Parts: sequence; structure tokens; C-alpha cells
Amino acid sequence: MARVLIAFLIAIIGAALVGTVIQTQFNLSELTALSVVIDMPTRMNTILHDLLHFGPLFALILTPTLFVAFIVAALIAKKLPSLERWLFIVGGGVALAIAFLIVDSLAPMPTLIAANRSPLGFALMSITGAFAGWIFDRLWHPQPRELAEELMQ
Amino acid sequence: MKRALKFLLCIALYGVCAVAYSAETRVIAEKLNFPWSVAELPEGGYLVTERGGKLVHVAENGTKQAVTLSIPDLYAEAQAGLFEVLLSPDFSRSRALVISYSCGTKHANNTCVIRGKLSLQQPYSVIETQNIFTALPKKDGAAHYGARMTWLGDGTLLVALGDGFVYREQAQLLDSHLGKIVRITRSGATPEDNPYTHTKAPQIFSYGHRNVQGLIYDKDRDAIWQHEHGPRGGDELNRIEKGANYGWPIATYGIDYTGAKVSPFVDLPGVKAPLYQWTPSLAPAGLALYEGDLLVAHLAGKRLQRFQMTAGKWELEGDYLQGLNQRLRAVYVGPSGRILVLTDSKEGQLLEVIFE
Repeated sequence: MARVLIAFLIAIIGAALVGTVIQTQFNLSELTALSVVIDMPTRMNTILHDLLHFGPLFALILTPTLFVAFIVAALIAKKLPSLERWLFIVGGGVALAIAFLIVDSLAPMPTLIAANRSPLGFALMSITGAFAGWIFDRLWHPQPRELAEELMQ
Repeated sequence: MKRALKFLLCIALYGVCAVAYSAETRVIAEKLNFPWSVAELPEGGYLVTERGGKLVHVAENGTKQAVTLSIPDLYAEAQAGLFEVLLSPDFSRSRALVISYSCGTKHANNTCVIRGKLSLQQPYSVIETQNIFTALPKKDGAAHYGARMTWLGDGTLLVALGDGFVYREQAQLLDSHLGKIVRITRSGATPEDNPYTHTKAPQIFSYGHRNVQGLIYDKDRDAIWQHEHGPRGGDELNRIEKGANYGWPIATYGIDYTGAKVSPFVDLPGVKAPLYQWTPSLAPAGLALYEGDLLVAHLAGKRLQRFQMTAGKWELEGDYLQGLNQRLRAVYVGPSGRILVLTDSKEGQLLEVIFE
């Protein structure tokens, strides 16, 4: 059970980190498109700010979403064990996309996360759910060749 | 008298003292369904817009009567609906007025303005209505319309607009009305001395606004005062100048509702900094001039604030009406000099505020 919890926690943190950095780049790219010059220190400070202030909210969306998605993926994987890894990857991505749509339908604003306003942003943010699925299954049920990998060369 | 005594007592006790006021309220009318704006009629009584789409005449004794008004393309949902009614400067002679509202459909709407005339006889009706402005492009969703209006000294009309929430970058684009203040004549024409007549949106007067909810021309100072909502923090009080950029979304004191930065910058070259900014947000709604001071009503902040000009800067004099515990949608000072406030609820009230 501890293995499942640790795997789930790392999956949430990993997806929250990656998703936060992606949405920051989308927000900043909208500003650079308006001819605003953003130097690297400013970009890094913005990422840091968003990791501290956007990251927790994104983790809050990820947690219940992936909890449900991974249970469903695990149940299906019992019938289709050879597809387990892909079930978690696809399940995580699809579930997060659905969660975004649900949040947007409930929130007073049309789109809660600004990066989700464009199809590319929505797709990339949803893929962080797939990334979480990959991390989780990689840690929970590593494949024999993954176990054989040396941690350090 | 009471104020003078308070001031003297304060001087006696502390040596130096700011003039402090107290504010009393009197209920003029009740059970107004999300009232949005009020206009004081010279013959007595008031016109009040309800966001859902009704224009209501309120008599001095508080009795209400619907005013006949036909707006076939009205779109009312969430923040969208019937917004401001503003009498023409020559209303007593012409009976002319302008009305702002959201027009279109759920997936294609924006802010529109019509002009019309109020009938002389009661029950009132608005007649001879004609569209004088439609903000473009039409957008999706029911958020951020601006819609406050004011007449300038030269008889032209300023109309404040919003960025439509998910279209925030368009506030910086001069071919779109989103996130702008526009200036038109009373017939809807574009004045020749507008600053961006060479663009696809020649009505633009200033840009870089998020959701303007207060706009007033101060003829004594020949200045235009404005306030607008930031997201989380960064509500702004500005002095509007022709052609100027007010920064949204490239420079702001606010952050997004998600906690993410909208912009890393609070100021940038070429961007007008706010004269005052509210962080955390109080959601200002409605702006009025009273005895040379600015009155700002607040929705989330549930208060009326009074600002005084000190050495060329607006300084907060005090917070009032917090005891009401009501969201305040608008504040208005009419020709009679009375202060009127609208509360924002399904059971909204029209209040008179008396400063002592």
C-alpha cells in the first residue's frame, strides 16, 4: 500500500511541476507576442512564482482526477494486463482533459486556466495527466527491463 | 455643525486631525432585481436598470413601475444583461438618453449602446431607439462587458468596455474594441480627433483595460477618472488620457485567479501606472464625484470609499456603509447633489447616502 501511495504522490508532484511550467510558458508567450521583452531571470522568477502559487491548485485538480482514473485503469488492466502501462497513460490524459472541461463548466469564468484557451495549450496541459499515469505505473508496476536499469552508470 | 464640532474636538485632543465623516442611509426603493445603474430624473423620481433586462421607474415615494423598453438583441446571463442608463446633458429639453447592454447570443455577444427618448407622460416608455455602438468582435461567454458611460464636456460620449475575460490580450490590440474605452458622438459617429482613427476600431480613446466598472468626467478639473477590476488584486484607479495604454494584461498588480502570473511586470515603459490600486481586490463598481471627492462603491469589498485629492494625488479618506454588509453595484450623484447607491442582490435596494 505504501508503494501505491508513494507512487501516486510522486505522480501528482511530477505532473504539477510539468503542467505549471507549461502554463507559464503559454502565458509568457502571449506577452512576447505583444512585443513584451522577457529576459531569462524574469522568466525563471515567473516559473518559481507559479510553482508556488499555481502548482498547489493544479495538484488539487490532479489528485481526485487521477485517483478515479487510476482506479479505473487498474480495474481494466486486470482484464488486459499487457496494456496496463498504456491504460494508465491514456486514462490519466483523458481524465485530466475531462476534469478541465468540468471545472470550466462550473467556474464563473469561461476558462479557469489561461493556457487552456488554445487547443495546443489544452492538449499539452492534458498530457501532463498522461505523464502522471506513466510515472505512477512505472513506480507501481515497473517492467522487468525497467528494474534491470541501473540507477547510476 | 456636528462635523465641525467633531473636527474641533479632534483638534483639541490630538492637535492635528483629518476631517472624518459619518454616512447615514435612507432606503428609497427595495426589491430591485440586481439593479445595475440609476439616473435621477429632473421631474423627480429615478430610472433604474435591472441586469435581467428591465428598466424601472422609481417614484420619490419608492413605488416602482416598469418602463416600456424594447431591446430585441438583449443577451442576459451571468454578467451579461441590461447595464447603464445615462441621461443626455440636454435631457430636460430633448428627453434623450443612452443605454448600454450586452447584445447577441451566448456564443457571439459584446457590449452595445442604444439611444432613445423617454416619453413625457407616465407610464414611461423609451421611444425612437436606435443603435449607436456595437463593440466588435463578437465573443463567446458572458463576462467582462465594462458598459459604464460618461459625457465629456464637448458633448461626446465615452463608453467603457471589458476584455471578455478569455480575450485579455486583445486589450492591447487596436483593431478590437475588447479592453478599451471608446469615444463616439451622440449619434454614434466617430469624432475626427479620436487618437486611432486609422485603425479598424477608430472609436478607441484609450486601451489596455480589463473590465472598466467606473467612469466619470470631472468638469471642474477637466479630467476623466476611471476604475477597473483586476483579477486577484490589481484593481486600478486611473486618470484616462486620450490614446494612452493602461497596461492590461502586459503590466498589472494582479495575478490570475489560479495563482499564476498574468504578467511579470507591474509597470512598463509607455504604460500608464494606476493612481491607486487595490490589492487584495475590492471589486470597485460605480464611481461618482461629490464635493470634489471621488466616491467608489465596491462589490466584494461591500463598502463605499471616499477619496480626497491631496497635493495632486487621490488619497483614501475613509470606508463607509460596511455595516450594511451588502455588495454595492453603483454610486451616483445626480443633479440634485444627492448620493444614490445600489446594492447588488436579487432583493437590491436604492439607497440615499447622507454624509455628515
